[in-house]
Amino acid sequence: MSEEYVIPDGLYYTVEHEWVKVQEDGTVVVGVTDYAQKSLHDIVYVELPDVGSEAESMGVIGALESVKAVSDMNSPVSGEVLEVNNELLDSPEIINEDSYVKGWIAKIKPSDLQGDLLNLMGAEAYRKHVAEQDH
Amino acid sequence: MELRKTHIYDFHVKQGNIVDFGGFAMPVWYQGIKEEHKAVRDGVGIFDTCHMGRTMAVGSGVEKWLNRVITNDVSKLELYGGLYTVMCKPDGGIIDDLIVYKMASDKYYIVYNAGTREKDFTWFKKTAEDYNVSLTDHSDDIAMMAVQGPRAVETVNKVTVDDVSKVPRFSIAKVNIEGNLGYVTRTGYTGEDGFEVYILNAPLNSPKKALTVWNALVDAGAKPCGLGSRDSLRLEAGLNLYGSDIDEDTNPLEAKLRWVVKFKKTGGFIGREAILKARESGLKRTQIGIAITGRGIPRHGYEILDESGRIVLGKVTSGGLAPSLGYGIALGYVPKGYSKVGTPMKIRVRKRLVDAKVVKAHPFYDVSVYGWKRDI
Repeated sequence: MSEEYVIPDGLYYTVEHEWVKVQEDGTVVVGVTDYAQKSLHDIVYVELPDVGSEAESMGVIGALESVKAVSDMNSPVSGEVLEVNNELLDSPEIINEDSYVKGWIAKIKPSDLQGDLLNLMGAEAYRKHVAEQDH
Repeated sequence: MELRKTHIYDFHVKQGNIVDFGGFAMPVWYQGIKEEHKAVRDGVGIFDTCHMGRTMAVGSGVEKWLNRVITNDVSKLELYGGLYTVMCKPDGGIIDDLIVYKMASDKYYIVYNAGTREKDFTWFKKTAEDYNVSLTDHSDDIAMMAVQGPRAVETVNKVTVDDVSKVPRFSIAKVNIEGNLGYVTRTGYTGEDGFEVYILNAPLNSPKKALTVWNALVDAGAKPCGLGSRDSLRLEAGLNLYGSDIDEDTNPLEAKLRWVVKFKKTGGFIGREAILKARESGLKRTQIGIAITGRGIPRHGYEILDESGRIVLGKVTSGGLAPSLGYGIALGYVPKGYSKVGTPMKIRVRKRLVDAKVVKAHPFYDVSVYGWKRDI
């Protein structure tokens, strides 16, 4: 089945379908993309990183689970986890409903943002990446 | 390698999300696992099971041969009765679990797993050499689908000439389905009331007949369901998945299948002596049901630990979120002293140890709320 995926401009993306939003104060918000939530479907469980823990670029910081499958959540950047979206613990389906805004997963204070951004894609490159995944 | 297709492939490719299931192109879901799971518990769903194995065994020696191969006893079956059983290697390991139906005194219909089709048929042939039995593999010329849920009777009755409500649990009946010859059996893999429907003379290379019946059942109200909900439904019902919960390294007593092993039947059966010996020397492990009481979902391969979290007891063989119950459940194996219902334990979910306990697993749900025994 071919699907349309929401891929907003202005975010950075990983090959594993996480997104990063760089905020004005230099911290970042991370989450998973529309493609990721549609692939998993029916998200029933979310495991979040501990606040204060150190995330490594492309290291596992949490997990999303559907009835059938487990998918690791990787951190797109290295840094300290400042805050996590605790609403997801009771309502994991928020990610299915809105993976870019209400379904954010963690806020991170990056330790090498410029270096990490070099490994990430812009919206246009990510659209191509997703189109290739679907075929 | 190209995936094998079932009779219903054209429907799956249009409506479903296809995955490689043991070499078959099968739908994991159409609309969503949770929604399809709920349809079967509350209404009616339909599953493509054409990938499963079907063999007809005919001949004057068929009853003797079958009773030698399987652990259960067909000699007491009434005409059109069926039974669940396993068949074992000489060392007691389970080759497969299967259902056999008595079609005549010299004719039995055998239904078994998709992933073991070739292995099973080879074993049938090898063991039947000394008996007067002829075996025909019908897996590719009898189509098969399962209609499951509390509304299965009314749904199947819309496509059959005969009234299927009279078919007893685990029995088979010859029926006319949409003008085709077929069988229905009052069986399934969901815990719910329902039927497995078979359409005869439906070769894989001309799937139209099977697709017509499938579409008629869908039009009659059955929601198409994929392998995802098939797995979550069977797990809630506490039914084993061959290759995960039972395999050639598992003996039926460890798997809580004592009830299908008839040690006293005439002529014995393949594996009997090894299984008896294992029982005498004490079973090393036993199957348990596990419910998560903390936060997390148990999955295949996760470690089961004692309450202190220091001793690894065994592994989860099947696990997942139980959509009807709202928490994680699992089947797994532990040493006998840890198998009592209520025993607290831990499951290692990634890096964390999550609280869990032993629960009744056959089924996991309350039989007055879900499953074929409840009053509707």
